[in-house]
Amino acid sequence: MRPFLDRIYLAAGWVSAFMILAIAVLISAQIFLNFATRVFGLPLPSTIPSYADFSGFMLAAATFLAMPYTFRTGGHIKVSLVTARLPARAQLVAEVIALIAATALTAFAVYYIWVLVAESIHFGDVSTGTIPIPLWIPQTAMGVGMTLLCVSVFDSMVETVLRGEPVIAASEEA
Amino acid sequence: MSDPVVGLILLGVLFVFLAGGLWIALSLSAVAAIALAFFSNSSVGLNLAVTFWGHSHSWSLTALPLFILMGEILLRSRLSKDMFNGLAPWLGGLPGRLLHVNVLGCAIFAAVSGSSAATAATIGKMSIPELKSRGYPESLILGTLAGSATLGLLIPPSIILIVYGVATEQSIARLFVAGLIPGAMLVGLFSAYVAVRAWMDPGLIPAQTVKLNLKEKLWEARGLIPVALLITGVIGAIYTGIASPTDAAALGVLLSILLAVLSGSFTRNDFMDALLSAARTSCMIAFILLGAAFLAVSMGFTGLPRNLAAWIGEMGLSPYVLLAVLTVFFIVLGLFLDGISVVVLTTSIIMPMVLAVGIDPIWFGIYLVLVVEMSQITPPVGFNLFVIQGLTGIDILRIAKAALPFFFLLLLAVVLITLFPEIVTYLPNAMSR
Repeated sequence: MRPFLDRIYLAAGWVSAFMILAIAVLISAQIFLNFATRVFGLPLPSTIPSYADFSGFMLAAATFLAMPYTFRTGGHIKVSLVTARLPARAQLVAEVIALIAATALTAFAVYYIWVLVAESIHFGDVSTGTIPIPLWIPQTAMGVGMTLLCVSVFDSMVETVLRGEPVIAASEEA
Repeated sequence: MSDPVVGLILLGVLFVFLAGGLWIALSLSAVAAIALAFFSNSSVGLNLAVTFWGHSHSWSLTALPLFILMGEILLRSRLSKDMFNGLAPWLGGLPGRLLHVNVLGCAIFAAVSGSSAATAATIGKMSIPELKSRGYPESLILGTLAGSATLGLLIPPSIILIVYGVATEQSIARLFVAGLIPGAMLVGLFSAYVAVRAWMDPGLIPAQTVKLNLKEKLWEARGLIPVALLITGVIGAIYTGIASPTDAAALGVLLSILLAVLSGSFTRNDFMDALLSAARTSCMIAFILLGAAFLAVSMGFTGLPRNLAAWIGEMGLSPYVLLAVLTVFFIVLGLFLDGISVVVLTTSIIMPMVLAVGIDPIWFGIYLVLVVEMSQITPPVGFNLFVIQGLTGIDILRIAKAALPFFFLLLLAVVLITLFPEIVTYLPNAMSR
């Protein structure tokens, strides 16, 4: 189970990473098209339709899909000033309580994000740009990312209790 | 219950969550949920989902991962090595000599990276060993590095200004441009401090070892030319309005890949590392931003910031008094919290109050960044201190002591931009619209 879950978190992280690269490529392509048509008068379409919408949706997907990997590798920051000064036993208890609270919170968020996705499907919501994109598609990426985050938080909680020591690396930079 | 009581309760709850080690993004969301559940009639869950969605796909925010990626690529390239060799021959003759490499090196790296910690790590990795082996005093090596690296936050592209701009719906282009003169001013202040120290105590700085003629100097500096072009390209495009910050960021990513590959020693593994690392960092920041957005929405329902603003407005407080109070408050907050959290807490709660006394939001953004820069070098929580401790193994308090003069220089900068707001507002006002 352990390697399997870690592989899923990492895979979602890579999808996120390539989404960011795709955003860079898409926007750059738009700039070159604009340049090519305006400055050199090349017979090309001057805009990629709805490229800003696509970039934004890929950004949302990138953000949420990276959640579990970021969480597991200690990327999400927290204040460790107080807890780090507690004795080891109390530190462990604090960590477990924080993980339980985080599981509850993310589970709550997951539930309502899927409610939002269901509503978008129900009402047939689409984006307002040239190409109407059904909103449930990018929102599903958000749902998947949050669900995986919730799983990874719960997973970390169980692992922490079983191992009897914190499993998430301390966050190191911002 | 009266507003101040509710506000204090929520603030107390927030601090309990934060101190208890709940992740910052989740702490903000949890307080927002509590405020909505107890002090409004609106649905907690739906507000959360709608806010998370609504704030996660904006065009302005798209600049965030792109600028992070650009910095991640360049810090894995040969840039930092070229920086030392290229700058050192030019600065060796100044009072303070190679210490200025720390200041200018940080300033240049800040112009391609939006993070203070990344700037400290990249420049420090190469400059600390070089300066130490040449016999420069430790306190000045550490101090100039810790202080100058905070420029990463101010000199565009700046991650924290993107966060501020997105959260307050200000133009990120104008914020970037507004950071230029204050950034240059800080470089001047830091360099002047080094020069004064060197001049007061001539034995402090080791003698210049190698002297190069102009041709050799230019040859050594060749590695800096592509970076200089990249910086002028990105900032110039934003300033002239040819490209939005997001456009400039996308081009910056492609150019930095090109630059890193052409300069050699940039492998496919480096690139993959940079990608994953950028995804991770931007995810962390975006999550905090989402938590703060939810908190802002929730605060809107409770009406607390509005009432607080009205209350401050009725007191007829002068902006100077408010700023003095806020500065102290931020410095205290900055002792314990990281910069991004300070900014998002401000934007979700304090912003209406700031606008109520007539402070310009662009100016306030730069002010906030300066104050946050101070928080980067104050213990117990100061990310530049952590990074330099990681690089050198030196105790965090000793590094903080070395950085203390730079804390006061930053404070001086805050005073200067308050007395002469044009330092901040001149360029954005002169900008083409």
